[in-house]
Amino acid sequence: MATRLPGTDVVVVGLGAAGGVAVLPLVDAGIEVIGLEAGTWLTRRDFAPDEIRNNVRDWPMAVQKANLEVPTTRATPDSPSFRGSSHPMMNAVGGTTLHYWAQAWRLNPWDFKVVSETTRRYGSSRLPAGTTVEDWPFDYDELEPYYDRIEYEIGVSGQAGNVAGNVDERGNRFEGLRAREYPMPPLRWTGFHERMADAARDLGWHPFPGPALINSQAYGDRAGCVYHGFCNSGGCHVDAKAGPHTTTIPRALETGRLTVITRAHVIGIDADRSGRATGVRYVVGSEEFIQPAQVVLLASYTYENVRLLRLASSHVYPNGFANNGGQVGRHYFSHHQGAPVSALFPFDISAWYGLPAQGVAVDDFADDNFDHSSLDFIGGGNLWAMSDRRPISAANGSTFGRAPSWGSEWKRYIHENADRSHGSYIQKTTLPYETNYLDLDPVERDPLGFPVLRVTAQYKQNELAIADFMQDRMEEWYRATGATEVSRGGLGNAMGLSTHAFGGTRMGDDPSANVVDRWGFAHEAPNLGILGASVMGTSGAHNPTLTVQALTWRTAEHLVKNWSSIAGG
Amino acid sequence: MAEDQRRTISRRDLLKGVGAAGAAAILPGKVDEGSAQPASPGAGTDPGRARSFAEVPRPRRLENLTADEADTLEAIMARLIPADDLGPGAVEAGALNYLDRALGGFLAGEREEYGLNLAALDRYCLSSRGAPFVELSTTDQDSVLIDLEGGSATGSGAGFTGSSASFFAMVKGHTWQGMFGDPYYGGNAGFIGWDLLRYPGVRLGVSAADQQRLEAGELLPERRSAYDSEMFEKATAMQRAQGGVEHGD
Amino acid sequence: MKSRSVPILVAAMLVGANIVHAQEYHPIIVESPGMQTGQTMPRDYTPDGRNISPPLEWRNLPEDTRQIAVVCEDHGAGNPPPWVHWVVYNIPGTATGLPENLPIYANAPMPAEIAGAVQGENGWGRSIYRGPAPPLGQLHNYNFFVYALDAELDLPPGLTQQELMERIEGHVIGRGAIVPFYRRGPMDTASAP
Ligand SMILES: Cc1cc2nc3c(=O)[nH]c(=O)nc-3n(C[C@H](O)[C@H](O)[C@H](O)COP(=O)(O)OP(=O)(O)OC[C@H]3O[C@@H](n4cnc5c(N)ncnc54)[C@H](O)[C@@H]3O)c2cc1C
Repeated sequence: MATRLPGTDVVVVGLGAAGGVAVLPLVDAGIEVIGLEAGTWLTRRDFAPDEIRNNVRDWPMAVQKANLEVPTTRATPDSPSFRGSSHPMMNAVGGTTLHYWAQAWRLNPWDFKVVSETTRRYGSSRLPAGTTVEDWPFDYDELEPYYDRIEYEIGVSGQAGNVAGNVDERGNRFEGLRAREYPMPPLRWTGFHERMADAARDLGWHPFPGPALINSQAYGDRAGCVYHGFCNSGGCHVDAKAGPHTTTIPRALETGRLTVITRAHVIGIDADRSGRATGVRYVVGSEEFIQPAQVVLLASYTYENVRLLRLASSHVYPNGFANNGGQVGRHYFSHHQGAPVSALFPFDISAWYGLPAQGVAVDDFADDNFDHSSLDFIGGGNLWAMSDRRPISAANGSTFGRAPSWGSEWKRYIHENADRSHGSYIQKTTLPYETNYLDLDPVERDPLGFPVLRVTAQYKQNELAIADFMQDRMEEWYRATGATEVSRGGLGNAMGLSTHAFGGTRMGDDPSANVVDRWGFAHEAPNLGILGASVMGTSGAHNPTLTVQALTWRTAEHLVKNWSSIAGG
Repeated sequence: MAEDQRRTISRRDLLKGVGAAGAAAILPGKVDEGSAQPASPGAGTDPGRARSFAEVPRPRRLENLTADEADTLEAIMARLIPADDLGPGAVEAGALNYLDRALGGFLAGEREEYGLNLAALDRYCLSSRGAPFVELSTTDQDSVLIDLEGGSATGSGAGFTGSSASFFAMVKGHTWQGMFGDPYYGGNAGFIGWDLLRYPGVRLGVSAADQQRLEAGELLPERRSAYDSEMFEKATAMQRAQGGVEHGD
Repeated sequence: MKSRSVPILVAAMLVGANIVHAQEYHPIIVESPGMQTGQTMPRDYTPDGRNISPPLEWRNLPEDTRQIAVVCEDHGAGNPPPWVHWVVYNIPGTATGLPENLPIYANAPMPAEIAGAVQGENGWGRSIYRGPAPPLGQLHNYNFFVYALDAELDLPPGLTQQELMERIEGHVIGRGAIVPFYRRGPMDTASAP
């Protein structure tokens, strides 16, 4: 029997990058909030610089509930589906920000207006066949104050490139106008970064240091980055990496209006007869609870957001919560981060003590920053040369055909070259398509007996053309920096599971093509807000989290301002 | 503030220093005369470094593998990362010790696979080269490993549980972890894996000046386990929940 | 036996596919003490045995042969075919064959009679010989091609078959082949070699 708990103003499902930020503006406005989080608190003591634990054995993800509900994936409705054994995201207070890379990008203004801008500049025939992409219901300028808010509230380091129209060549000259500088200077560069930046300038490009949700110096009560080299998939032992667990959640707890319940695994969203959300059901161990609330905010990451909605079927919602329009699960896509390029240099690059958020970016080929008239795609990619190396992964690296991968010859090779290779990270515009979607798997279930999600998604011609084009640029860049070997991976096919999973509950004014309205509340259930990249309709060429958090703040602020109409119904 | 904190930590760890590092590098693999090499390149730069793996051969203590399995695995590891004129290899690093321990913990799910595939390997060696793996010449051992790696041993009917290539990849992966992972897990004895890579070591903080010294080739390697610092929890959250933890596996 | 004619036919077809003007070549006669066209290969040249490289002998080279290259390929495998088992080149034009068991280490010296010869990359990405490993029960043919070249090319080690073909194009003045086959049966531990 489920225990029915006293009601609250707002229940937030998941205290990760999104949910963990939403709580602060709410409690600050006097609203009572209960945060239900499937994971637990972790502390600095959990974040040893230990490659076996963090990277080889996928800790801390290995303790996760998410690993028990890994979605199945397939490229197309006709291809067989596969189910892996690990989920890329984290269950803990703070969510995936515990071990993420913390690159802190804003989207480019073009990303908000892909349809109208493409049509204006090149004609509507240039929109790829089968895409369901729409303009966002608002533009970059609408989101700018919220980006600014997050950058200062949580703390972002970086070099501005365009403060109120004044282009600064040290920063990203292609970024949208920003009201002011970053609150902290960028993370430092190594000699190799300087070398890559010089080579980029020689090519006529505009290199700049990337922004990071990592302190470059002490910020508030948190220390600056110590560059120890275990940031990738590891937590921060000095709390220089920013997440809600070290910023917004503790601040919200201080008000006394936030209650955090850990190991709370939400399994259902309840609706009344009018379709409004009445609260959620969750289990802790084998006990089940009902938590009534006036407003439900769903922030459990794209896959679980969609799954919880699809699982919650009732009289009013026979096909899942807020899915009478059939839009839950549609317009799904995930960032094309594949098609890698790697290089071998004839000198040590001293990458041992770095982090993936520290590096050189080039945006000359991102979004619509370059002329696409004679190209066969729209959008582009961000070139990112970072620092990231640990012993086991270095020893596992490619030998570029210069030696076998074991034995004495390999030993000689790796002794000389362990610190001489570099792998690129290139994020590319990825669009939603008619044939890419999320639904419930007809066969596979989690240990509670609920179907897992099924991902049906494949990169299409536009993504593959970008990938090919970006590989050429990256190879050019490596060669200009002195690489003696350059190798490329395949262009990609099935999307698979992603740390940058977008759509599924897309935001838009038209209820027949979108799940949530321009404020993030469900068209069908006005007191259900959805937080996370599942509401985003385009990806841009940059990581999503800062945008997710800016949107979250905006949704929470809208709720505060319209409390009685949304909560009172 | 961060600077200060960092200095405090490293000073304290310095006091514990080499002794702690040596203690972490326990249980070297069986060391035979031929592979008891002098220190690997660069070792001379740090006189305080423990080299007990080469000096004090200890009896092998197995927790999970049988002696025969361990012999075969060690013979494989000796070919994957051999002791040679460049320095000691996976055997001297105690990669077997890492694997043996892990097979009772994190890798317990792969214990059975090891047993079945090691038996298949010896069937294959007997049939193709006339003797079990440990008795083959090093050239024949390499030839067998190449055939395992390429999947060519699979079709022989030796009975590998999957492709011989996946067995090879599994052994190689675990050997690399035992060679290059933190010594806390029972491998990388004497930090010989990190010396081989010229890895400058685990540090809790790296200043801009440290980075410049590294780039100038002037940063002395740090040789200690992450867990030589008292500040880190050794158990994973999962183990904490289940109660008790003996070692890193 | 009928099946014996198959390998020869296949070889002829594939030579034609690989090299543009097959009929212009001077025919080299290729033999091996242990292998014959249309016969099964001895186990020792396969991973069911020691997997050492087989000996080859050749006769009837064109007069102005300066260098020789050898490639072993299986046109019934690979994506796209062929799957390459062996690539050897920079073999002196005076050589009359390849001895058995070429080294499997890059830094090991070649036998004196073929001094200067180097091995190229096979389908497994290694610059050594690896013998037939067809799926259990399937019969595959292994084309050992010998190319006579009219120049001393001094090619770098580690070329793939395709790279080698590009580099020797225009220099091939003679060609011959020996095409044994191999079929793997269930492992027979009793008959260790
Ligand atoms: C290795 C890695 C590197 C990354 N690097 C970057 C980067 O550099 N820049 C960037 O912008 N993004 C990065 N990301 C992506 C970033 O982590 C996500 O964009 C972000 O965390 C998404 O926020 P979220 O709140 O939607 O999900 P999460 O942060 O994952 O939070 C979701 C929370 O919901 C909880 N939850 C899930 N299901 C339930 C349930 N049923 N009941 C209760 N609670 C539940 C989870 O436990 C979790 O705490 C990275 C991700 C990974 C894995």
